[in-house]
Amino acid sequence: MDFSMNDISDQELVTQWLNNAAVARSSSEKLEYFHKLQEVLIRKSPNLLQKFLPNILNFTTDKNGDVKKALVGFIEELCKARESLLPKVMLSLHMLLCDESIAVQKRVIQALISIYRKTLGWLCKASVVTEEMENAWKQLSAIKLEIANMIDSDNDGVRTSSVKFLECVVLLQTYPDQAENNKPNDFSLDDVPLTLKIARRRKLEEEANTLFELLLKFHGSPHISSANLLTCLGVVTNIAKNRAEFMSRVVTAIESLYNNLPPTLSTTQVNSVRKKLKSELTGLIKHPAAYEFLDKLTPMLIDLGYSQQDVIKIVPKAEERRRYCK
Amino acid sequence: MAPVSDLRIAVICSSNMNRSMEAHAFLAKKGFLVQSYGTGDKVKIPGSAADKPNIYEFGVSYEEIYHDLLNKDKSLYPSNAAVIYTQNGLLHTLDRNRRIKSHPERFQETEEKFDILITCEERVYDQVVEFMDSKTPIDNSIVHVINIDIQDNLEEATIGAFLISDMCVMLAKAEDLDNDIEEVLHNFEEKCQRPILHSIVFN
Repeated sequence: MDFSMNDISDQELVTQWLNNAAVARSSSEKLEYFHKLQEVLIRKSPNLLQKFLPNILNFTTDKNGDVKKALVGFIEELCKARESLLPKVMLSLHMLLCDESIAVQKRVIQALISIYRKTLGWLCKASVVTEEMENAWKQLSAIKLEIANMIDSDNDGVRTSSVKFLECVVLLQTYPDQAENNKPNDFSLDDVPLTLKIARRRKLEEEANTLFELLLKFHGSPHISSANLLTCLGVVTNIAKNRAEFMSRVVTAIESLYNNLPPTLSTTQVNSVRKKLKSELTGLIKHPAAYEFLDKLTPMLIDLGYSQQDVIKIVPKAEERRRYCK
Repeated sequence: MAPVSDLRIAVICSSNMNRSMEAHAFLAKKGFLVQSYGTGDKVKIPGSAADKPNIYEFGVSYEEIYHDLLNKDKSLYPSNAAVIYTQNGLLHTLDRNRRIKSHPERFQETEEKFDILITCEERVYDQVVEFMDSKTPIDNSIVHVINIDIQDNLEEATIGAFLISDMCVMLAKAEDLDNDIEEVLHNFEEKCQRPILHSIVFN
């Protein structure tokens, strides 16, 4: 391999920083070296990445949570910049997801939202799927199941992040409503080639449906925390707005929540949830696919402070609805 | 000096002039990592009459606003300069503000990320939540938006800053904020006897 003078000095620097980080006494010192390594390996001299990635991934077993969180950030950046290295990091991500520190676990789930999207997109546009790619997808699928199970975690923040991850999977693995509703960068099942053997459309869609049901079940659980409920409410309405096939089930779930707010919520939490309900229902009723549920949505909105006239004003006009139905 | 907590906090009102700046000053003195913002389209501050506010763009510095008001005082009361705005405390407020940062900042224009967004009235809370929900998250980290109603006058801003500071001390003590926030806010609400609102958005 040819290195320019600049590369050689960067290579020496990287080696030196790796050594310094290994013997650093404080976590702040170690983090400082880590951030320098990230800057050089991802931005300045990415040609050194392949060589030094195993050294970086050794931090997976570091004792310090902040260092491991920084490592997740490194992996996240790496996946954005170099898709071909995705298979190299899956094992580390899996290990980090199982870390004893809640903060590390959360950071992994949050990073996986973009990494999952990136990996699926990468597989879909690959001309050949190698064994390495297949193994990476298998590992990622195992990670996905673990995160889905984390919706029952004892920790509120882990549950919140798990809900947000599942939102991403459901949106990626379902079909969009109409071409005109497609947002830029909106990946969907339409983008998965029928020839992709390791991720079949039908299987992905089935999985999305199962995960959506899991979200609805969580949304309707009687002792859900206020923070989880606020997140889940936002997530299911966002899914309905982007994938109208779920509209009916989401409206029913919201109606059921509306009539039976969890008894564990305090007055303040009820106020916050009602406020969230008002804004989410406003977003839903503006969607053409929600028109057939007007009789269910309107009474809730009126109870939350809208007048009948207010509701009429925000409902899509007949012309918009016709255009949507085409 | 190392900050008292890793939490990245933003205090947000309408014009980034009074309530958010009072709390910004207070929290910064206590050693928190704090920034302040306004959500309005323009910076609006009281003028010579209730229906004649002074209006500035968000980029205009506190220094420039200070001198503009000073000049207005002089032209309105040539014999007794700096009467109105000194009397209503605005010049003092601006003088304080210019020592903290150069100009009012609009929340919707910042690229900074925070763990906690504290708003000072419900309308601002709505704008913050709506804006955060409209963005595509980048790292998906959890952000808590918390509203405490504070009237927009000097005295209430001082009381509000005390309350916000108390709340931040309680939030900073939590070992795992995302897990403990409901309990912390419940305890804070009992203590401060003001209704609060809480929501979750993502960075």
